[in-house]
Amino acid sequence: MRQQYAVRSMLVVAGLVLAVLAVIVQIIRIQTSEQAEVFLVQGDRYAGEFQMFYPERGEIYDRNGHLLAGNRTVYEVGVSLREMESPEAMASALSANLGLTFEEVYKKLTESPETWEYVVIQDYVAVDAAEKLKRLVEQLDNADDPRLSGLAFKPHLQRSYPENALASNILGFVTRDGRGYFGVEEKYNDLLAGNPVQIWVPRDPNKATEIPKVPNGTTLVLTINRDLQARVESILDQALSEYGAQNGTILVTNPRNGEILAMAATPRMDLNNYGNYFSLYDNGSQYNRTIGATYEPGSVLKVLTMAAALDAGTVTPETTLIDTGAIEVGGITIQNWNRDAWGQQNMTGCLQHSLNVCLAWISSQMGTQSFYGYMDRFGIGHPTGVDLSGEAPGRLKHPGDGDWYPVDLGTNAFGQGIAVTPLQMLMAASAIANEGKMATPHVLYSMLRDGHQYNVPSQYAGSPISAETAHTLNDMLAVSLEEESSMALLPGYRLAGKTGTAQIPTDYGYDGFHTNVSFVGWGPADDPQFMVYIWMEQPSTSIWASETAAPVFSKVAEQTVILLNIPPDVVRSQVTK
Amino acid sequence: MAAAVPYTTNRPNIKVVMQGQATQIIHAYRQAPWRVQRQWVGVFLLVVIGVAMVAALYLDVTARTAVTGREIQEMRLQITTIQRETADLETQLADLTSTAAMQSRALALGYRPVQPGELDYVAVPGFAQPEPAILLAAKDTSPETETLPAEYTQSLLEWFEDSIKFGGLP
Repeated sequence: MRQQYAVRSMLVVAGLVLAVLAVIVQIIRIQTSEQAEVFLVQGDRYAGEFQMFYPERGEIYDRNGHLLAGNRTVYEVGVSLREMESPEAMASALSANLGLTFEEVYKKLTESPETWEYVVIQDYVAVDAAEKLKRLVEQLDNADDPRLSGLAFKPHLQRSYPENALASNILGFVTRDGRGYFGVEEKYNDLLAGNPVQIWVPRDPNKATEIPKVPNGTTLVLTINRDLQARVESILDQALSEYGAQNGTILVTNPRNGEILAMAATPRMDLNNYGNYFSLYDNGSQYNRTIGATYEPGSVLKVLTMAAALDAGTVTPETTLIDTGAIEVGGITIQNWNRDAWGQQNMTGCLQHSLNVCLAWISSQMGTQSFYGYMDRFGIGHPTGVDLSGEAPGRLKHPGDGDWYPVDLGTNAFGQGIAVTPLQMLMAASAIANEGKMATPHVLYSMLRDGHQYNVPSQYAGSPISAETAHTLNDMLAVSLEEESSMALLPGYRLAGKTGTAQIPTDYGYDGFHTNVSFVGWGPADDPQFMVYIWMEQPSTSIWASETAAPVFSKVAEQTVILLNIPPDVVRSQVTK
Repeated sequence: MAAAVPYTTNRPNIKVVMQGQATQIIHAYRQAPWRVQRQWVGVFLLVVIGVAMVAALYLDVTARTAVTGREIQEMRLQITTIQRETADLETQLADLTSTAAMQSRALALGYRPVQPGELDYVAVPGFAQPEPAILLAAKDTSPETETLPAEYTQSLLEWFEDSIKFGGLP
């Protein structure tokens, strides 16, 4: 009996052992089978996901801490297809709140590929619309109504410009793919955008990984003064309207360090609606005409010719010339703007009356090597290196170029046959206002990264003339302005400057009816703290810069001294004493 | 001369006694096998209790880690949300203080742009035009994470493996 039990027990044990062995063998077989690898891969795939951490795009401030470009919350509205109960109700609610058609939404909800679990209905939805939908979902949830179940809202940031069109030509814009176009947004896109970081985020909370440090994009502080920019843009718009000009630009800089304080150009666009770009601009060079558009500057370039001649010792302020009203250069006769003979003139008189004959004579006396050498050193025909996207280099023909003729030596001296940008002219003339030295114009004042502020030092762009020459010419231009262009003056302040009325070249010679008017000036003359350049295209009320650009300069100078706290000369001299 | 007399005693031979006792014990166990079984059961239970304690400890640590991991994930989400809200609020504030908004508010309050003749300048000895201030509000606010010590991230087995590799066992 006892033996029988022992045998049975052994059989049961053997059976169990066999079963256990079978299970173990099966486990090993499954684990090592070919299918196991597939399942392992699948398991790994669902164990977590790669997530891209995009840094917040850096902000852009003006020099006084006013936000010019920031970020705003918007929503991606989508539907989790597995949780969706009623495509009809969903399409109805979404189309009513998102400005889409019912058919459009319904098609997305019902005709998405079967493998899709989630479908985006609309991205960049404004907070108001999203909040409205959220409230609707909440109401239905409270009533246990599942008709909008599966509706999801994913918030994220979108570039936003609180000042709308203000300084749009400087800032540029960012499209929805996060790329900057034009201006600061394009030039500093890499800094502003920061570096996205992709990491594997496990779903298993036991494997919670550390948060990767994704530093925000670098925040930029510009040299722009927002209030001055607003005033200058307003003055430009008024001037274009008052003088019937097609387009215009106004630049205000600090000649000492090249900081751009204001840079107004037309047309401007609301940066929050950058879709209007194509309706406003024919090509990229029009986006910011102060750096992208070139033109023949006309008589404002005479200040550079005079600076070169004084510096080379070709003339002195007292050098006299008998102006007969015409001069022949390279076999071509050059005349004054009014075709008159102005008789004996010294060099101040040549500038004061803007005599083409005088300046053509000066450049002829200098010779091609000296004249073009100085123009090169002034940066004519070269980009200034301004930290904005889309700068044009301009054009300065040289002897030996296929399209250079001997007469160009004469005409170039008074700004014909040369293509410059307003910023190029301003930088060149800044040598006269700044002891003979030029500073590279720039808009970046400092960068803020990881809680530190890094100021950007000014860049030296060369010394085309000596400090003595600069002082001499500065005084000549102040006298010239006082005696000739009274509309540019500002009571209480001694300013220096020069008008420029330029004919417009066409395929058939120069346009006899339209001009481009310019003005370059600075102040106070004894201690220049601001510099202004004005360019208006084809004013219709008057073709003369002295009647159009000069008064605009006066208005800009008036606002500049107020906003930059520059007291009148009398007060300043008292403080200095 | 007397012959040597071997040492004698009345006590029983100890060798014989021990053999007898061993025989008795063996006999007793043969008579009561439950004594051996109880010892085996005792050892087995001891092992089971040990394993159970280690398992309970491991489960406890794992559960705590899971809860903490979930909290970290939630906090990460909160940080992202707060950063986004901060950026949004900064932009909203800039909207409210934009040039156009401030200008219209000033005009509504009866202010007008100042004219050059209306300005009075006062000479203040030693006054210097202030440079643009450092923008404290624009500081990078992204969270700084310090590397967690390995004790907070590795499993018991990983710790054991590392300890064997690097000889760090206590």
